[in-house]
Amino acid sequence: MTMTPSPVATPVMDRLISRTVQKHRPLSVHFDLTYRCNERCVHCYLDHDDHGELTTAECLKVLDDLARSGTLFLTFSGGEIFLRPDLYEILAAARRLHFDISLKSNALLVTAGRAAKLREFGVRRVQISVYSDIPAIHDAITKVPGSLERTLAAIPILLEHKLQVKLACPLMRENLTAYRGVMALAEKLGVPYILDLTITPMMDGSSGPLEHRASVSALLPVLRDPVLNACRPQPTAQASSAISASPSTFGSAVSSGIESAAYEDLPCSAGHNSCYISPYGDVFPCVQLPQAAGNLRQEKFEDIWYHAPQLERLRSIRESQLPICSQCEIRSYCERCPGLALMEGGDMLGAYERACALAEEKARLAGVDDPVSALHLKQAAASVQAATEGEFASIAADSSSD
Amino acid sequence: MSTPASVTWQKNPALAWREIDDETVIISPNDSVMHELNDTGSFLWKNIDGKKSAAELAELLAENYQVTPDMALSDTQALLEEMSSRKLVVTVAATGAVSP
Repeated sequence: MTMTPSPVATPVMDRLISRTVQKHRPLSVHFDLTYRCNERCVHCYLDHDDHGELTTAECLKVLDDLARSGTLFLTFSGGEIFLRPDLYEILAAARRLHFDISLKSNALLVTAGRAAKLREFGVRRVQISVYSDIPAIHDAITKVPGSLERTLAAIPILLEHKLQVKLACPLMRENLTAYRGVMALAEKLGVPYILDLTITPMMDGSSGPLEHRASVSALLPVLRDPVLNACRPQPTAQASSAISASPSTFGSAVSSGIESAAYEDLPCSAGHNSCYISPYGDVFPCVQLPQAAGNLRQEKFEDIWYHAPQLERLRSIRESQLPICSQCEIRSYCERCPGLALMEGGDMLGAYERACALAEEKARLAGVDDPVSALHLKQAAASVQAATEGEFASIAADSSSD
Repeated sequence: MSTPASVTWQKNPALAWREIDDETVIISPNDSVMHELNDTGSFLWKNIDGKKSAAELAELLAENYQVTPDMALSDTQALLEEMSSRKLVVTVAATGAVSP
């Protein structure tokens, strides 16, 4: 009989990830309770109208199903979760089912009473979006005057109630130089932070939010900043833990947040041991991979999770077998996302321009001589071939006219 | 000194935990430390319900696994003490001492 303790980033998490990936257990689930929001962030990928959210009873049934299926890490998000009038009822049920509960919120509605409730219902961590330490910049992104002041006022309240707080800062054109301020703010508050370079299309595929995405060239000063160490190759052997309390720098604010060497040749955790559930009961591999595998109003979670063709296909993907990216010499600098490959390049298995351009810049800044992604090599080869064929065609035409 | 075998135990109600394929992972919310129990540890964990003593838990262990009663009791008490030192379980009388 053994019992293994594990102080945060440890082999226990790696073993857990290995087991759940191998057996396809939904270890980590991101559950948006509503898309309604009290902010109107310029880069948001959601439609904030209510198109028929799951009822309280339906949410509780989902939680029962998830607990039975083996979900441990549960993140409630939105929209703004405090706009769900039944939030505490849902949290209480999650507590009874022994989930490890995290929330994502803009914290505008946090009060001491609400923080106490979160603590009572076993919420461990609250991730809060902060776009800048400068009110004019933050408020221009949220489109809510005074929002930074209110958000920052909530953080000490949450900390006083022994809730862990993490700042999340998506970087875009409007706040590209603000990250140092957010880092300083996090340091002052004694909380971890995450910077995110990912701005995605709307979930329906429309590209509105991409207008706010900083160009790769505009990101160069960020990538060059030695404080961020952004140009290091992706870790292949080291694991970090979902419950690590240490500051993290870069990552995706919408992923499961669990990274591990245990994923080995997999693109990410999506569909292997994590998934996303929308307020309408749609089950997706990830919020960034909006291909619904099924709907919980029509099917049981287990039936979708274990039998949906979309998930089975996703599980068959191996990075070493990707048609272009597997040949890429700068793969270790790339943060390719299968969802963005689908949304931006039209092929979940394909390469897409943004990831390739970023990988090249990161490799160059890391000292790699003339780095070129496999996609760009292929495009260059195709271009040479087309030019050569054109030349031959021209010579042939000249010959025939002789 | 070990806790008497007649004392009843319960799980710390503040914990997050899940049994996945016969192994249990437990997270302490205050320090975010993860703990892992193997199959026999998970068996005992499932049966810690605030009503059973170490002796009763050991009896169940001996019935379900091929171990002698003495060994079952020894192992059960050792695990309970270890879990108690990590605030994963508490004796029922001491429940009030655990803060969530």
